[in-house]
Amino acid sequence: MRTRDSLDRGALVLGVVSIVSAVFVFVHGTFQLVQIGAAGLVVALVLGLLAVVAGWLDERALMLGAGAGFLIAAAVQLVLLAGGRSGFLGGNASTFSLWLGLGVGLVAVGLAAVPEATEESLEATN
Amino acid sequence: MIVLAGTDYVAGTDYATRAVPLLPSRVNRAVIAIVRVGVGLLWLQNAGWKTPPDFGRGDPPDGLYLSTTYAVSHQVFGPYAWLVDRLVLPNFAFFGWMVLLVEASLGAFLLIGLATRFWAVVGMAQTVVIMLSILNAPHEWYWAYVLMLLAHMALFATAAGRYGGLDGLLRPSWQGSRSRFARLLVRVS
Repeated sequence: MRTRDSLDRGALVLGVVSIVSAVFVFVHGTFQLVQIGAAGLVVALVLGLLAVVAGWLDERALMLGAGAGFLIAAAVQLVLLAGGRSGFLGGNASTFSLWLGLGVGLVAVGLAAVPEATEESLEATN
Repeated sequence: MIVLAGTDYVAGTDYATRAVPLLPSRVNRAVIAIVRVGVGLLWLQNAGWKTPPDFGRGDPPDGLYLSTTYAVSHQVFGPYAWLVDRLVLPNFAFFGWMVLLVEASLGAFLLIGLATRFWAVVGMAQTVVIMLSILNAPHEWYWAYVLMLLAHMALFATAAGRYGGLDGLLRPSWQGSRSRFARLLVRVS
């Protein structure tokens, strides 16, 4: 039994997380976990959808592309913050944190070798 | 041979690199995953008020700079207050960036459950630093920070990234690899 399906599902979940984060365009105040602006919304939806498709189709190149996209977006957001403003992406350090996690996660899943399933991997994904 | 208390799971030395499920119950695994994601979101959201380039150093001070000054004005531990006064505050841009990067990384890695045990330890250390700064500050509830510390200890003890996190998905490939980096990842996950 292989664990590729689990890795695909991991990429899919990361994509869904990004798409769900788009809701924070409309949430402000105490429960705004992450700041998403208009351009940030495009990043969240386009790259999130790419990750979902990558997971759905088992396309590792797409996973890596989506992951790289998130990492670039995170880096750009950080550079913009260093200039003292949210910039055209409209995010803050929370946005950087989210995209960093999604980027690292998708790259890690995309680069993962496909071992034989172990008892642990099955437990972890059940 | 190791017998894990409270479980039917047994690990022999032949299985040293194999996994032993720490949490046999699906409900327990789900709860640990929720705790991990919740703690990750805590760091992620609170990275948001760390605002470069001055991090609140102004007149009047606010944000991270103001919080850090509490280590001196509402001292918790003398040597730490001295360190903050002599080293941290005069070089605040550097330390502000360090705080931002560490806390944003905590949010990122705990959220996805990657290298979770390592980041749980980082989270414990960062929580202690925060406690040393603001435990005596006005309107602070010290149990909030004790709870933060305990939550990170729970994430470490349960290897929380193995349940609903990327550690659980990627450990089999790390275990099958001979590279040093993969072995390191097995240890920190």
